[in-house]
Formats: sequence, C-alpha cells, structure tokens
Amino acid sequence: MRPLDWAVVVAYLVYVIWDGIRMTKHSGNVEGYFLANRSLPWWAVGLSVMATQLSAITLVGTTGQAYSDGMRFIQFYYGLPLAMVILCVTAVPFFYRANVYTAYEYLERRFDAKVRSLTSFFFLISRGLGVGVIIAAPSVILSIVLGWHEMTTIFVIGISTTIYTMIGGVQAVTWTDVKQMFVIFFGLTVVIFVIISQFPAGVSFADGLTLAGATGKLTTVSLSFDLKEKYTLWSGMIGGLFLFLSYFGCDQSQVQRFLTAKSVSEGRTSLLMSAFLKIPMQFMILLVGVLVFVFYQFTAPPMIFNQVETGKVAETAQYQTLKGEFDTAHQKRETAAEHFLQERTDATRQEYLAADKAFNASRKNAVEYVKSATKNDSFNDVNYVFPTFVVQNMPMGVIGLIIAAIFAAAMSSISAELNALATATTIDFYRRHFNKDGTDKQYVFFGRIATFVWGLFACIVATYATNLGSLIEVVNKFGSFFYGSLLGVFVLAFAVKRARARGAFFGLLFGIASVWVASHFTDIEFLWFNVVGCVVTVAAGYLISLTDKGGIDVVEA
Amino acid sequence: MQDTTKNEDPPVERSDAWWYKVYFAVLVTTVVVIALLQAFTYYFSN
Repeated sequence: MRPLDWAVVVAYLVYVIWDGIRMTKHSGNVEGYFLANRSLPWWAVGLSVMATQLSAITLVGTTGQAYSDGMRFIQFYYGLPLAMVILCVTAVPFFYRANVYTAYEYLERRFDAKVRSLTSFFFLISRGLGVGVIIAAPSVILSIVLGWHEMTTIFVIGISTTIYTMIGGVQAVTWTDVKQMFVIFFGLTVVIFVIISQFPAGVSFADGLTLAGATGKLTTVSLSFDLKEKYTLWSGMIGGLFLFLSYFGCDQSQVQRFLTAKSVSEGRTSLLMSAFLKIPMQFMILLVGVLVFVFYQFTAPPMIFNQVETGKVAETAQYQTLKGEFDTAHQKRETAAEHFLQERTDATRQEYLAADKAFNASRKNAVEYVKSATKNDSFNDVNYVFPTFVVQNMPMGVIGLIIAAIFAAAMSSISAELNALATATTIDFYRRHFNKDGTDKQYVFFGRIATFVWGLFACIVATYATNLGSLIEVVNKFGSFFYGSLLGVFVLAFAVKRARARGAFFGLLFGIASVWVASHFTDIEFLWFNVVGCVVTVAAGYLISLTDKGGIDVVEA
Repeated sequence: MQDTTKNEDPPVERSDAWWYKVYFAVLVTTVVVIALLQAFTYYFSN
C-alpha cells in the first residue's frame, strides 16, 4: 500500500460515512428511520438489494473459491430468477399492502403473536451470527495489508459501519448502497483489465480461458444427481430456489429493502433487477478468480497465501523442502502450459493436466503441513488468495481501489443487516411487547441503541469466524440452517388456508429440528437443508393444524 | 436526487397481464443465460 492507495481508501471511507450520517434529517420519525417513508425509486432499491447480498465475502471468498475450485459455484444462483418471480407474485404485494415494518409482523395478523415472535427470534439469531461472518471477511484483508491483529480490524470496520447506520437509518443504508455498487463494479472492471494486461506476451485472454477450461475450472453446469456434490444444476435450481425464496422473502434484511419502494410495482421491479443481473454479475466475480489462476500459471504464486501463518513456519526445514518441491512443480506446470498453448494436442493437454495435478498436490501438502505445524485445524487459505494477489501484483492506485471496493461490499451488507436486526428488535419485540403506545422519538431512539448493540454482537462473533473455512460457505450454511423452516412458515401463511397458529409454531420447531438431524446424521450438502426445513415445516404445520378446530381464517393483505 | 421525502405523484401500478409477460421474459432469459454459460464451458474445455 502506497500513499495513493491510502488516499483512495481514506477518501472512500470518509465520503461514505459522511454520506450516511447526512441522512439523519430524513430519519426523525419511525417510518422514515425504518422504511424511508416508502418513497425510494426502484433502481435505488434494486441496487440496494444487490449490494446487501453482495458482501465482501462474495469478493474475497468467491474469487478465492474460483481460483481453487473453478466456476461451479455459479450454479448456486440458478434458482434465483425463479425465486424472484415467485416473490413478485406473492410476498411483495402481500407485505407491501399489509403496510408492515417487518415480514414477521404479517405473521401475527395471519397466525398469532407467538408465531411472529418465534420467527423474528430465529431471524435475529441467524442474521446476528451471519453479519459477524460478513464483518470477518474484510478484516482478514486488512490484517494482511496493514499487519494489524484481526481483532483490531474487526472492531474498526464493525463499529464505523454501525455508527453511520445507527445515525442515518434505512435512508443511509440505501443511498450508500447505490454508491457502493458503483465502486464495486468499477473496481472489478479495472482489475479484470489489469490482470489480462499482465499476461505474458503471446498469451491472450482466450488462451487463458483455454488453460482454465482444460483443468475443469470453467464448469458452470453439472448435471450430477449426487446429493453429496455441493454445486450442481439441481442443487442450485431446487436447493438454491428454496434458499433465495427464504432469503429474499422471509429475511428482514431483504424484505425491508422492497418495503421502502414507492409502490408494489417499484418493489417488484427492484427484485427483478437482481433476477436479470445476478448470474452475469456472479460470473464476472468468478471470472476474476479464474483469471488470477491463469495469471499464476506464468508467475510463481505464493505457496501459502496467508502470510501470517506462513511466517510462523517459514524457517523450518520441512517448509523449505516443501517450498522447493512447490517451486519445481510450478516451473513444470508453466512449461507444460506453454507447450499446451503452442501445440494443442491431446499429448500436451495430458502433460499440462498431469503437471497441474502435481502442482495441486504440492500445494495441498504445504497447506496440510501449515495446519499441523501451527496446530490450526481450521486453517483455510481460500480467503487469502484474492487480497494477497491484489497487494502483491496490482499497480499503485488500483490496490487502493480494490481495497475500497471490498470495503464497499462489506459495509453495504453490514449496514443493511444491522438496520434489519434493529428494525425486528424494535418493531417485533420492543414495540409489540414492552411499549405499545410509545412515541416515534422513543422507537427511533431504541432503534439506534439496538443497531449499536447488534453491531457489537456481530463484532464479537466475527472474532471467532475468521478461521471457519471458506467464508462464503460459512455464511450460507448459517442461513441454510434456519431459512428453509422460516420459508415453511410463510408458505403456510400464504398458501395453506387450513394452517393455524399452533401448526405454524410447532411446524417451525419441527423444521429446524429436522435440519439439525440432517446436518448431524446425513452427508447431504447444505443447500438441501433449505428444502428439508421447508418441507418438514409445511407438512408438520399442516398436520398439526388439522388438530386445531378453531383459529383464524386467512387475512387478505 | 436523494431528497426522497418530498411529495410526488401517486405511483402507477402495472396490470397483472403486463407483469406476467415480464415474468415470462425473466424465465426465458435465465434459460438462455444458463445455455450460454454451458456453451462457454464447452467451447473452452474441449
């Protein structure tokens, strides 16, 4: 990091925090603070929806994953457009016309206060933990760049975002999201062009993709039916569909986005923006990881990207031996790659694949050694690939831009999540159970306190999350544990007329218990937890509802 | 641009028929995008 890089990062941070804080003038009443007086245009809401989902984990974790595992992760998003269409037909008009602040508020009208409180409680638990992981990702980057302890960076990022969210409310969240999306896209576009420009002479963009394609890193559709395979067309279309239905339709951090829109039509359009743009955008991010992989075919990569862990063992004899083997494996792979590009025959292809396999084995040995030597079983190098690459290989100014883009991604998600956590705490618990006849001033004040407390909680969670493996998977696993069951409750509310409060309440508990059983006693991958939780909640909820002769009928929104 | 609290014209709601066409376009586009991605994979992997 040189002075120009620091200037870019500091300018970004100062501008965003100032921009967020100046929204205070629109946040004096409870509807302004939590819903922006339902006045925002669709394009701002749509960008905010995308920014909320696109966290720093997406940039750091996904690019690292593409470097090591290729583009198969993109299948995770194949169910998203259909989920958005279903939500435009159901959730958007239901919630908007019900004039609610939270998705869970609607459940009290449909069922009772217990169902509302239970679903809101599970949202708070899952999201509170999730936002901790979201803070952890950029903290990893800063700890590398600045050489600070991760604990310090976690609290600097978490608390600074908390402050502008606390003061500016949802207006600050949305309008800063819009600017942050532009910073992210600009940063990604620049980094793609810079990487390609750094390929050796004679190696084109298409050549790079040929190398990546030969190693299977460009796989975007897998038709395997194996439930133990993480990313397939089916897990994305079915498991992903359930996850996104739940995330965008039942998670307050997203529901609150379209509740701020001017009308039902604008709310729908904001969601459909993601339906059109999410898969191409994810492709672009994964492409960055693949291009980093190609770049390191011709430039010696670090054996271990996590420089902090490397420093602990770099002087040992075994590390030096492994490093020698790794360097040899890289040189052989580089030579084989050049042969393959010069003569695209089956023989040169096989030579390159064998060299790549040997290189991967060498790196795997090194990672295993670091794990055992540092006694850190949860050590995972994936999250360090992209930030280390940026700092070591990008030109002056671009480093600052990318760091700013990662900050932008982190802060846009953290702020939306904190705002949603504060909204659910204030509206579903404080106003509902403790102060029904409070003033706007009291609710806004409580909302600000809740934002601060959740920010502190998330920072504490983040301190434990930095070594939990691929962070993008960690946050999705957190979500998948609860999301399917929460979706099941809303399916009961929207689609099952016979559903009653008792059925919804116990159905939710059965659903979460079933996911716990599935996660502990089966090998199925986490995306399928969403299907299990939803199906069990709806089935159990319906059967239990049959035992309840009373209850209330469906309330039309 | 950001003063969103000012009084504005009442929002116009589109008809259901219009929305169904949009939903259909979304789903068709998704199928086309996945097909293009598969073609991209095939082209560079063989």
